[in-house]
Amino acid sequence: MNKKPTVLLILDIVSIILLGVAAYLALSYAPMEATMGNVQRVFYFHVANAWVGLLGFLAAGVAGIAYLRTGKQKWDIIEVAAVEISLVFFLIAIVLGSIWARPIWNTWWTWEPRLTTAAITELIYLAYFMLRGGIEDPNRRARFSAVYTLVGSVSVPITFMAIRLFRTIHPVVIGTASAQAQGGFNMSSDMKVAFFFSLFSFTVIFIDLFWHRIRLGNLQAKVEELKLNVME
Amino acid sequence: MGAPETTNYMIAGYAVFVVIFSIFIASLAMRWNRLKKDQQTLQELEKENE
Repeated sequence: MNKKPTVLLILDIVSIILLGVAAYLALSYAPMEATMGNVQRVFYFHVANAWVGLLGFLAAGVAGIAYLRTGKQKWDIIEVAAVEISLVFFLIAIVLGSIWARPIWNTWWTWEPRLTTAAITELIYLAYFMLRGGIEDPNRRARFSAVYTLVGSVSVPITFMAIRLFRTIHPVVIGTASAQAQGGFNMSSDMKVAFFFSLFSFTVIFIDLFWHRIRLGNLQAKVEELKLNVME
Repeated sequence: MGAPETTNYMIAGYAVFVVIFSIFIASLAMRWNRLKKDQQTLQELEKENE
């Protein structure tokens, strides 16, 4: 069980290559945007990280439903893995967005709908680990966590739709932005290549890390079981 | 009029990505190694108890 599967090893290598190519496309291949300069290149990784972050939060909600239906520990392990990885990716997306905002909006942070909903989503899933840390009984912890991720996953579509439903200064690259949007731009074909390749690459990287984190969770469960056996 | 000079922000953005991402990967590797050691120790203890 502990031996790394060959497919995972291949996925590791593919992920490293994809990350390198995505960085090349974002930093060199894509042309410099005329009104924002080089900081616009942050956008490729910003959107890709946000995408996999939200995807993972949704996956955690699905794992939560599966746990509540079956009561199987594996779903709890999958749920924790999804939340942990998504927290990291979504944090990166928020920080990159903030760095982009400084020269474009002339501020690191503003409480407009997208930034606010994104911050709330990140905090909801940060609190998830506080909840887990506060419950000792494993079954109770898993049940409460499953309900929490299920309720928490409501924040995902709200965050995604915030720039499309509310008056916001956050740009919409695909779709129609609000009239107040600042920092929007039309993607050239080379920019689209870098953008969609980043989305694809980070999806693969997410799957790779997700698998690793699930394996870590399984090992953790096994060690806990061994501890109980030794103590008996 | 040329594009504004915002290269430093771009570098800061990608540096932040590299740092956070590397810390997470290192954290995964460290936790894995620690658990493997714990597993080994516990398996030895289990054998001694038998």
